[in-house]
Amino acid sequence: MGSSFWLPQPITDLAKSVDSLFYIITWVAVVIFLLVEILLVTFVIRYRRKHPKQEGPAIHGNHRLEIIWTAIPALILVVIAVISFPLVNKIQTPPKDSMEIQVTGRMWSWEFRYPNGVTTYNELRLPVGKDLLFRITSSDVIHSFWLPEWRIKQDAVPGRETQIWARIDKPGTYEVKCAEYCGTNHSQMLAKVITMNDSEFDAWMNEQKKKAESQGVNGQQLVQTLGCLSCHSTDGSQSVGPTWKGLFGSKVTLQDGSTVTADEAYLKESIVQPGAKVVQGYSNIMTPAQLNDQQVKAILDYLKSLN
Amino acid sequence: MNTSMSRRSVIREWVFTVDHKKIGIMYGVTALFFFLLGGLAALIIRTKLLTPGPDVVSADTFNQTFTLHGTIMIFLFMIPMLTGFFGNYLIPLMIGARDMAFPRMNALSYWLFLLGGLILIISPIFGAIPDAGWTAYPPYSVRSPGAGIDLWISSLHILGISSILGAINFIVTICTMRAPGMTWNRLPLFVWSSLVTSFIQLFGIPALAGAITTLLADRHWGTVFSVPSAGGDPMLYEHLFWFYSHPAVYVMILPAMGIVSEIIPVFARKPIFGYRAVAYASVAIGFLGFFVWAHHMFVAGMKVDAGTPFEISSMVIAVPSAIKIFNWLATMWRGANVYTTPMLFVTIGFLGLFTIGGLSGVYAAAVPVDMHVHDTYFVVAHFHYVLFGGSMMGVLGGIYYWFPKVFGKKYNETLGKWIFWLYFIGTNLTFMPMHFLGLAGMPRRVYTYDPHYTLFNQIATLGAYMLAVAVLMMIYNFVHSALRGEEAGANPWGDAQTLEWTISSPPPAHNFDTIPVVTASPYEFGVSEWVKKEQHSIQ
Ligand code: HEM
Ligand SMILES: [Cu+2]
Repeated sequence: MGSSFWLPQPITDLAKSVDSLFYIITWVAVVIFLLVEILLVTFVIRYRRKHPKQEGPAIHGNHRLEIIWTAIPALILVVIAVISFPLVNKIQTPPKDSMEIQVTGRMWSWEFRYPNGVTTYNELRLPVGKDLLFRITSSDVIHSFWLPEWRIKQDAVPGRETQIWARIDKPGTYEVKCAEYCGTNHSQMLAKVITMNDSEFDAWMNEQKKKAESQGVNGQQLVQTLGCLSCHSTDGSQSVGPTWKGLFGSKVTLQDGSTVTADEAYLKESIVQPGAKVVQGYSNIMTPAQLNDQQVKAILDYLKSLN
Repeated sequence: MNTSMSRRSVIREWVFTVDHKKIGIMYGVTALFFFLLGGLAALIIRTKLLTPGPDVVSADTFNQTFTLHGTIMIFLFMIPMLTGFFGNYLIPLMIGARDMAFPRMNALSYWLFLLGGLILIISPIFGAIPDAGWTAYPPYSVRSPGAGIDLWISSLHILGISSILGAINFIVTICTMRAPGMTWNRLPLFVWSSLVTSFIQLFGIPALAGAITTLLADRHWGTVFSVPSAGGDPMLYEHLFWFYSHPAVYVMILPAMGIVSEIIPVFARKPIFGYRAVAYASVAIGFLGFFVWAHHMFVAGMKVDAGTPFEISSMVIAVPSAIKIFNWLATMWRGANVYTTPMLFVTIGFLGLFTIGGLSGVYAAAVPVDMHVHDTYFVVAHFHYVLFGGSMMGVLGGIYYWFPKVFGKKYNETLGKWIFWLYFIGTNLTFMPMHFLGLAGMPRRVYTYDPHYTLFNQIATLGAYMLAVAVLMMIYNFVHSALRGEEAGANPWGDAQTLEWTISSPPPAHNFDTIPVVTASPYEFGVSEWVKKEQHSIQ
């Protein structure tokens, strides 16, 4: 998956354009860097005080030089800015009729919703050769949707929709990283991206549709895909949220000191409306899951199975 | 009886002092103490990052550690060191004044700084440690449980008041208390840069204060500044925050640049090249600094081309920095350079490394490239090259340079050079690999990372340990020299010309027996080749 110490292989046209700009800046930077460092080292070696009384010449400045080293860097920087404008425009303007993917960040997983309503978590499959438009938002704090090989990054901001488009031509596997610090599991907020040929993609999508219809049957699968397990353990170990081991039917102490029994009603409320009753020692950071009744039931069944 | 007497006099001498020099020293010692704490946090971070997995500390502790590290280094070390120590100690001496304009307010600034700092660093004692990064973006910072963020906000508010009082004091002092003959064109360049810095503080801090007040209000008083479902917007905070915090990076570099401009001419025995260009470049940076803030927000939710004006202004602000670099190089050109420890720090150190930080800023300023490098280790490398490679080199060069003045003793030159090289190599080992990690795809502020990146992280950690050794050696050097060093005399560098070198080391309480009359710029070094030197000093 690319090199570990330089830009990863650019895989879209857009990424290649970004890299061209990157290399232009790099050439300029290398030249200026060498100029400054060579002058510095030369002066350090060449102009040394040879005897204690020695003084330098009383030169106070030079207008011509002053103008030269103001104008040249200014010119170079203006050129860099100007050649980046068309690229900014390209990034800004998604092609018409793109396939739109709704991306939602949440602590600490990524949700992807396709135009036909199919939803996946932490796994994004995309067809090659199609224009794609990501519409990005967040359901809690700020995250940032970053695909390094694609050179695209946009923050996922609650209450706001950011956009970025891409088009990829080869099948491959990549990783979405969260680039904006978002709390305990920020560094684990990763999603897999798999780009596939049209026919494979269609086959996969059909399978997903079928699964979606029958979904709710498997609670264990649901909690995995929903990302619940990034905060809840099933083996009794400490984590960001209370463990599920032995939870069903147990006595739970709430923040205000009262206790409740973890029956079905309580557990359901805690899933769809987590802020209603917060367990003592934990904070109210869980985002409500949007589930149908069948799915809730499946999860409840799974929770019971952990006793 | 004896000890109680001396204790009382210590209190009278230091706690109740309104002498700018003593206040400056208190600022310096306190800031260095905070620097050690911030450095300790950095070592914890780097030790964790030796390995890719969850290790050493928990994820939450890690997040709290980098939050404390950033906040301490910026607000409790770099800003107070440059303005509080160097500014306070040097400005009245350099302009030929007996003290600051408002000596009591000056003392208040220091005590508020100490209070603000303590409020932040006692947070671990109460187990309520801020964990939202030094930028504290909402909604995360609003939702973060416990009192950690509240302590963070209170601390910043108090530090802000301290800085505003300090800024007013500097501005009034520099404008009204210059000795006769100290015209604007004879003002030492460090004083120029401090004047600009003070204006930045005065105009910028209210924006920061407003920003963090919205956090406090959202957290406790049910307001909705950052709650979109009720009409708020988290980006409001980002704009306000960067409106101050971008100019704040110039608060952390301009005085260091001033230090560089003082030190190079003395050891080159040559006038500063382009005095006016260097002075006006500071003014330009201070002014332009208020027009670039949104370059921290290119991918934060603005339309992509809304970044364009900020890309242009960010490119423009790189020019005055470039001007200074060339002027310093031209000062070294044909100089009678002697490489004492301070000269090493400001030439090979500052000039050599700040250049790298300035150039990596160009990548971050180009919108399309920033889409990739933003919020990665590349940006971490960038700002450490300017802050650690730049500002910190200036600070250390400055400490070595004025050490004999402050303590009246010479430091150990051989040890100083060893420390410089250790420090220089450590800085590059630590921060150079971070450029490559960021380009390759490592986000910043991560507790775990892809095992791919292990080698470069280990190199960085090795560098950090080297820096720790350098810092310990430096403490030894300073303490030992302050106690045992050779007498320095008034002007140990022979011919340094700013006014502080005309009086004894350390200076008497009232600074000048008679207020000096200034007749020339402080950079009249060198032998005239074709014009008589006298003619210069007449003008
Ligand atoms: C040569 C001129 C400079 C340019 C063009 C420049 C450009 C930039 C840009 C565009 C960013 C935002 C990067 C991002 O978040 O994606 C940035 C970040 C930063 N810069 Fe610079 N910079 C310059 C000099 C400085 C100086 C002099 C300092 C401080 C002494 C500094 C300190 C910082 C810091 C602390 C950050 C990171 C803040 C954060 O996100 O936590 N820079 N710089
Ligand atoms: Cu995130």
